[in-house]
Amino acid sequence: MLPEFLSRTAKTKEEALSYITGLEDVKVLAGGTDLIVRMRKGEAYKHLVDVMEVPEMKGISCDEEGFKIGATTTHNRLSNSQFIKMNARSLSLACGLIGSPQIRNMGTIGGNLINASPAADTIPPLLVHDAVLTLESKGGERKEELEDFIIAPYKTSMKSDELLTFIHIKRKRFKDYREGYKRVTKRAALAISRLSVAWAIHEYEGLFHDVRLAIGSCTPMPFRPRIVEEFLKGNKKEEQIIIESVKMILEEIKRITGDRPSFIYKIPVLKDLLENILRG
Amino acid sequence: MFIGRDIDRIDVLDKVLGKPIFAYDLKVEGMLFGCIYRSKRPHALIKKIDIQDALSLNGIVKVITHADIPGENAFGAIKKDQFYLAGDKVRYIGEPILIILGESEKIVRKALNSIKVEYEDIEAIYDPFSSRDSTTLIHDTGNLLSYRTVIKGDFEQGFNESDVVVEHTYKTTWLDHAFMETESGIGYMDETGKIVICSSTQNVHYKRKEISKLLALPEDRIRVIQATTGGGFGGKLDMTVEGYIALSVYLTKRPVVMRFTREESFLSNTKRHPLYIEYKTGAKKDGSINAVKVNIIGDTGAYISYGETVCLRAAIHATGPYEVPHVFVESRMFYTNNHISGAMRGFGIPQVAFAHESQIDEVALLLNMDPLEVRMKNGLRRGSLTATSQLLTNSAGFLETLKKIEPFWKARKKQGLHTGFGLGCMYYGIGNTGVSNPSSCYLTFTDEGKIAFHSGVCEIGQGSDTALLQILLETLNVEERDVVLLRGDTDTSNDAGSSSASRQTYVSGRAVYDAALKMRKYLKSKGYYDCETLRGVCLLAKEEGLPVFEGFFDPPTSPVDSKTSQGIPYATYAFATHMTEIDVDKATGFCKVKKVHASHDVGKAINLKNVKGQIYGGIAMGVGLALMEEFVPSKTESFDSYYIPTSMDMPDVEIFIVEDEEPTGPFGAKGLGEPALIPQAASIVNAIKDAVGVRAFELPCHIERLKALIESEKDKWVE
Repeated sequence: MLPEFLSRTAKTKEEALSYITGLEDVKVLAGGTDLIVRMRKGEAYKHLVDVMEVPEMKGISCDEEGFKIGATTTHNRLSNSQFIKMNARSLSLACGLIGSPQIRNMGTIGGNLINASPAADTIPPLLVHDAVLTLESKGGERKEELEDFIIAPYKTSMKSDELLTFIHIKRKRFKDYREGYKRVTKRAALAISRLSVAWAIHEYEGLFHDVRLAIGSCTPMPFRPRIVEEFLKGNKKEEQIIIESVKMILEEIKRITGDRPSFIYKIPVLKDLLENILRG
Repeated sequence: MFIGRDIDRIDVLDKVLGKPIFAYDLKVEGMLFGCIYRSKRPHALIKKIDIQDALSLNGIVKVITHADIPGENAFGAIKKDQFYLAGDKVRYIGEPILIILGESEKIVRKALNSIKVEYEDIEAIYDPFSSRDSTTLIHDTGNLLSYRTVIKGDFEQGFNESDVVVEHTYKTTWLDHAFMETESGIGYMDETGKIVICSSTQNVHYKRKEISKLLALPEDRIRVIQATTGGGFGGKLDMTVEGYIALSVYLTKRPVVMRFTREESFLSNTKRHPLYIEYKTGAKKDGSINAVKVNIIGDTGAYISYGETVCLRAAIHATGPYEVPHVFVESRMFYTNNHISGAMRGFGIPQVAFAHESQIDEVALLLNMDPLEVRMKNGLRRGSLTATSQLLTNSAGFLETLKKIEPFWKARKKQGLHTGFGLGCMYYGIGNTGVSNPSSCYLTFTDEGKIAFHSGVCEIGQGSDTALLQILLETLNVEERDVVLLRGDTDTSNDAGSSSASRQTYVSGRAVYDAALKMRKYLKSKGYYDCETLRGVCLLAKEEGLPVFEGFFDPPTSPVDSKTSQGIPYATYAFATHMTEIDVDKATGFCKVKKVHASHDVGKAINLKNVKGQIYGGIAMGVGLALMEEFVPSKTESFDSYYIPTSMDMPDVEIFIVEDEEPTGPFGAKGLGEPALIPQAASIVNAIKDAVGVRAFELPCHIERLKALIESEKDKWVE
């Protein structure tokens, strides 16, 4: 059963920040598709602050550098946005695969990032796009790279008086890149990713020009195999290189995580997936 | 004309309007909430139970222990071996120890945490093989619950005469029924002092009997009513909430409600029996199956439930729908300290079909024959002798189900890189195994000038109300508006037996037909079929003191021989063939079930739409059994980790009906509920083999298992 709590609905960002700073034992509700489930299992807070009705935290807008996504934008909105389809295809695909239609209608990108699950579907695409987050508090705002923001499984660097407001993607559209997202699940829908890969790859005259990969559900936090990305830069797109680079990624994963029982499955699958992705 | 017509289910409009009140939503003024405190140990002596802290909580009314039970602290569908509340010993995690009653659900759930029980652990046994070898006894009678054999011909001679032999071992695991509505109900004492239970159930009369023993009250002091029920699949055959509610009402004299959370349901309910099946098949060059030797080892968990029945049914059906001259089957069911395994759609046969259908395909492969041809050659037909040497004299449309599929099988074409096609076949005895399983009902008239149909058949979503009504309307030649259905209430109906074993259309349908024939004679004598109105007949009937027309049917079976199981265990059998098309993603091990052609011999389709509905549902469950469903004791708690198929996992389905009419059935009908599921998993496993060349010997063949099989096949090539 859900524990008792007091709930507040913030209508503006300022109001939300006042609640977060002013109330004790407070948690932000941004969709609740993870939070409420955990609370039913016993996690308790005195106060919940619903930020779903803060207008400026919702939606997608362009700025000089690129574009930004409001933290309470739902997965459904992102997956259906033509703009996201054009400019961050992997994110669009990932958001369309999360949970069920109900979860996609309720769940938000900000909530997904704060929950910081190793299997979160939005994280690998955002890593591929070098996403930067805006965190605001009464005292001001700061920016942090997503890659640094998640510090451990289900743990972020967000402070108790902070509110995640925006996710920034600096450049519009990876032109001439092939971009995608693939996840592995036990059934066709309503499932948590056993494995996921987001990619954006630029090739030029048989050479890898820029390879961006992000792998979810394998390591404590979704990660970019930067060493291999660097190795591939300028390298020939041929079978031997592909096999070699995938081998390097798998070794890096094992080095990060150690050997896990689930790797009996995950390693061969990831090998096949990555090889197929690099081959294109 | 009502038979074979696609009439709408009689409950459909109310259900889409959200009108029926499911057991879970029932409320009574002033009700207490009841919750069960369960064992946290798999096998232990109970040294001390401390309920003081719980009792001191504001709002807690009573904590009931085994010592409070006025009658017998024992229940069980087959044998009374299960305790309502454990006294000195627990045998599985989840075994009930106490009932806590309070003014609200919240306070009662809180009180659960303040109960203290001291245990002294006993060695726990988690698999049937350890159970067989262990000196630790789970029950005084020993760890072997049941040993059954089927012996026909001489299997050694049979294998000597065979040109090829195929031998493999198959394994299945626990499955949860995953019904939409968890176990729930209410109870109260009515103005006459009767204890009334209204619950989500598959059988009301059985539950009344059990409650009568529990409370040491005569049966007429107890009334059990079936609330609108959100699914059963065998999981609501055993006592779930009924006994606890009755006991609580009896002791507190207050109305009581009980509703299991999904977690409680997973923890407490029976599961599908995990079976370990060693299977050896001998065949001749021409494809005829000559000998079959099977060894089945099952895990019944801590108590019997339906363990003995599954043990025997699995043995009898082990050959599949094929005529085999030499048969030797051993089937054993052991106690363990796992969850209780019980009835679940198919009663052991979906597991067995996975084995015999894999075997048939392997035989075909070895002989370089078409798998459909091998099935056609050996299939049971009129004049065949089953494994129990029962001569099939009537309805036996197996070959027709194959023939319906044949053109699609021959025209099959692999579209994708790793597309596969597989066949799965089955036969299934309708009704309980080798025992009397009668059904009774009665008809009379109402004051309003209508026909009152008193039925004890539980409608659990399968559509029995509609099918039985169609039989009644057809026989009486009256309209739906002329009949009032009074169903699922021990006070207003006779015992129809449980909604299980695919028996209600066949057994209860025949009982309804029997009653209707008697009433028809009466209607005729009063001139109804000439020019008298029904209202007129009712007035006449009233003057005669409202005659009652009883209907009865008990399928003609005989007990099977205790050593060889030879005999007539079932009056009739259903037959089916499924052909399944799948696509495998070799990189991930994901198997997508694309299309199923399902062909069923149902005797007679009373309601085609309902028949199709059963088959769609059976296929969905078969996809789960084959590819994803797996209950892991102490790990699986909810749907978070227990995966059942979603609509996105559902294939396209094309259905073909064979109607080889069964003379003992109503208008020729047999049963379908379980047959719809049975061949599905087998056909998927065979399709996987066709697609990627690997065979699953263990279910579910989920992505991880399938990938491992694909990888090991890769290694073979490297070697």
